[in-house]
Amino acid sequence: MSAAKREEIPPGTLEMLILKTLARNKPLHGFAIAEFILETSSGVLQVEEGSLYPALQRMLLKDWISGDWAKTEENRRARYYSLTGEGRKQLARELDRYARVSQAIAAILQPV
Amino acid sequence: MKTPRRIAAFFHRDAETRALREEMQLHLELRARKLHQAGHAPAAAGFAARRQFGNAAVYQDQISAIWGWNVWERFLQDLRHGIRMLVKAPGFTAITVLTLALGLGINTAIFSAVNAVMLRPLPYPQSERLVSLWEENTHPQDQRFSSSGTPVGAGGPLGRTTVSVANLGDYRACAAFEGLAAFDSSAANLTGMGTPERIPGEAVTWDFFSVLGVLPAEGRTFLPEEDRPGAELVAIVSHEFWQRRLGGAPEALERSLMLDGKPYRIVGILPAGFQSPESIGLKTPTEVFRTASYSSDSLGNRGDHDVNVVARLKPDVSVTAAQAALSAISVSLGKQFPGTNRYFRAAIAPLRDDLAGSVSQSLWALLGASGLIVLIACVNVANLLMVRAAGRRHESSVRMALGAGRLPLMRQLLTESLVIAVAGCVAGIALGRLLMLGLTAIAPPGIPRIESAGMDWRVFSVAAVIALSTAVIFGMAPAWQASQVKPVEALKTAARGTGGASQVRWRTALTVAELALSLILLVGAGLLLRSFSTVMGVKLGFQTDRVIAMNINLPQLRYPGGDARWQFFQKLEDRVHALPGVVAVATANRMPMRGGWSSGIFVEGDMENEYSPDFQAVSPGYFETLGIPLLRGRSLTLQDDGKSVPVAVVNQAFAHQLLHDRDPIGHALLRGPGEPRIAIVGVVNDIRRKGKEGQIKPEVYLSAGQTALYPVRLADFAVRSAGDPHALVNAISREVWAIDKDQPVTNVQTMDEIIDEAAAERRFQTLLLMIFAAVAVALAIVGIYGVLTYSVSQRLSELGIRVALGAPPRAIVGLVLRQAGMLIAAGIALGIAGAYGLTRFLQDLLFEVKATDWHAYACAVALLAMVAVIAALIPARRGARVDPAVALRQE
Repeated sequence: MSAAKREEIPPGTLEMLILKTLARNKPLHGFAIAEFILETSSGVLQVEEGSLYPALQRMLLKDWISGDWAKTEENRRARYYSLTGEGRKQLARELDRYARVSQAIAAILQPV
Repeated sequence: MKTPRRIAAFFHRDAETRALREEMQLHLELRARKLHQAGHAPAAAGFAARRQFGNAAVYQDQISAIWGWNVWERFLQDLRHGIRMLVKAPGFTAITVLTLALGLGINTAIFSAVNAVMLRPLPYPQSERLVSLWEENTHPQDQRFSSSGTPVGAGGPLGRTTVSVANLGDYRACAAFEGLAAFDSSAANLTGMGTPERIPGEAVTWDFFSVLGVLPAEGRTFLPEEDRPGAELVAIVSHEFWQRRLGGAPEALERSLMLDGKPYRIVGILPAGFQSPESIGLKTPTEVFRTASYSSDSLGNRGDHDVNVVARLKPDVSVTAAQAALSAISVSLGKQFPGTNRYFRAAIAPLRDDLAGSVSQSLWALLGASGLIVLIACVNVANLLMVRAAGRRHESSVRMALGAGRLPLMRQLLTESLVIAVAGCVAGIALGRLLMLGLTAIAPPGIPRIESAGMDWRVFSVAAVIALSTAVIFGMAPAWQASQVKPVEALKTAARGTGGASQVRWRTALTVAELALSLILLVGAGLLLRSFSTVMGVKLGFQTDRVIAMNINLPQLRYPGGDARWQFFQKLEDRVHALPGVVAVATANRMPMRGGWSSGIFVEGDMENEYSPDFQAVSPGYFETLGIPLLRGRSLTLQDDGKSVPVAVVNQAFAHQLLHDRDPIGHALLRGPGEPRIAIVGVVNDIRRKGKEGQIKPEVYLSAGQTALYPVRLADFAVRSAGDPHALVNAISREVWAIDKDQPVTNVQTMDEIIDEAAAERRFQTLLLMIFAAVAVALAIVGIYGVLTYSVSQRLSELGIRVALGAPPRAIVGLVLRQAGMLIAAGIALGIAGAYGLTRFLQDLLFEVKATDWHAYACAVALLAMVAVIAALIPARRGARVDPAVALRQE
């Protein structure tokens, strides 16, 4: 286990994180997405890993991502997720929303 | 949202679930390996990986919910469970499904008849704009005649007549109409193509087909200039005529047909299946159409009302608006021509409604009755469902104790009702089809379009809607009840197998409702039955047995006048009278119940009041053939011919109503100022010319030898025989052909057959309503038997204690019967109220019986009470036979 203190992902941001993860990479399977989020956040952001799968299914249904079955390096079957055009637009929308929200929060937290 | 994808995924959900499991499994393995590499022991690594992953089952459920599978899954689960439970109780399932099927089947059959006769559009383009037009005689004198006696249902409004040709032009000018055409049946003697035959035909105005919106399939329609006297004779024939008699040859057009001894050139052939409004519902559709070519005489005569009229409303003109415009025209005609038009008003109604005519009332009544049967069937099914829910109280309470919500429980029970409803609906539609075949087979002749009754989307959706609403409404009560179970109490009492008092209350209410509904049907059936027996008991005033009538329509060309026709018939009467087995012979324009003629007349000395009695032109043998006794004066004789003074015989009603009971002999009649004086020479008994449901009208019998004076044609011939009159038909036809080999003999019927046919519609509706009432009573009996059996089984231990304490069996029977009595009394009281409210809609179908007739009510109440008590006796006796030891051991 990593030494860093782990935090739950703020509610509502999981989908954005998955979208961004997929935007920055070649197609990934579920475990690799979880690993990427964990590593890129230096071990701070922790998902209850199973919750990734309902989120992925929801995004599949909304057509933000697509899933294709392929073999891993160790020759295991896995579903590799990649971003669709619709997913890219959604990512932009979510980033935009996130930026506005964090700016607003920052403005409140700013010392007078 | 992405519904198609959800649905597609639903069907692949097993594969999807497997795939998810594989993904999650891989995830866990990779995480475990990673942890192992980081230094965990293999077992600890696997455990940690699972902890880090969370509850895979919960995530799978979440995913199911995301795809919306769970709703369906749950429904399918309920459905499977429901079907399993129903299959496990085949008796219950069979009875409920059959009950529903019976109700729905009857309803479907009647509704499909209603649909065929009254709802489906007529087979003409934009037929909703077609109206039928007639004239009504609002003469106060005629009203007085018509209202003598109870009004009868069949027959349309009082004083309704066909339309005067001369008025046509004025109606045509009405701005509400796009077109207006007249038509009249005009059968033709077809010769030159094998045996002479009389074929059904119509005389129509040239624009008849364009008003109906139908074009000939071959050739053309009539031209305006062909619709004039003296124009070239042309005809349009039906597709069926063309196929059958002309072999479907294309060169049939332009060919000529010998009709009534004259050549007609065929200018058009109608599309297959075309039916004119005149022949809809007849077994013999019109085969040949000729132009009406009204003579200038009839175009100038506003007093004779001879033709049927169909009109097409302009788009967006309502019937009411058109009627208003037409009434204005009638009023102005009345002012312009007071002599003929003062009392006549034109009236219209949608063609479809008008064609359905009197039968629509009985069909609506039958539909209402079949609706009551559906209700009773539903109540029965609800009752059965309640019993079943009670039997499953234990199951329900266990499920609730284990944490099942009320909603899933209700949903489960509703799904079961739905399964029953769907099965009942399918069985009901199948049964309905069968019943419909039976219905059309026994339907009286002359109900338009009933032969084409069948399943269409209307019939199907009505059945489906009824079945589904049954499931929801009547499945709801038991489902709600079951969901109100208090698990702790239910589990405590479940050991004793009781369903609780509220069960009995509910079921008692349902049974009361059933009894009430069946009483309504019984009263209705009773009223119709009383009407039927009243009609059957009506004396016609003439003897119908062993009399056969036939139509011998002499063509104008060969027999141009009244005298020529009378010569033919005199010859025929002589020859037929000489045949063995012939008792008497008669000639008339029309025999009773075969149509007739009525015209305006004045009594000499009183030219103020015009009356319109029925007129017959009859030969001297008429009264003997029909067995009408002569009361005063003399009968008509062969000497009353064209060379002697015009004479007439009248009936009692004439003497009573027109002469105010003065002795008719010595009085004379005039058809108008300056017309010949007709001396009354005799009085005969009253007869009901229009059959048992017709009224006695004033009648004038003119001499057949003097018909040259009147616009009436001798055409009907009747024979009274010593034996079976059918045996004479061939011999009579031979005598006709011996006089004129080209003369067809048609419409051969015995008087008894005619009477039978006239009673057919009433017999039909009475029979159906009686069957319905029987079904209703049977269902209600099943209901009352069920609820009492149940209640006795509930009280078994109580009854056991009573028996143990020495109550005699009679007391126990009395106890149960008292309960039954309350139930029956309540049902009957409610039923009487309901019947009082509903049977008034039957009034128009009743004959000399009031809708509130107490006999019908009393019989219905007595009958229902009797069978209900018998049904109650069985469980009551079972209660009395209870063995106290057994009953108490159950405690």
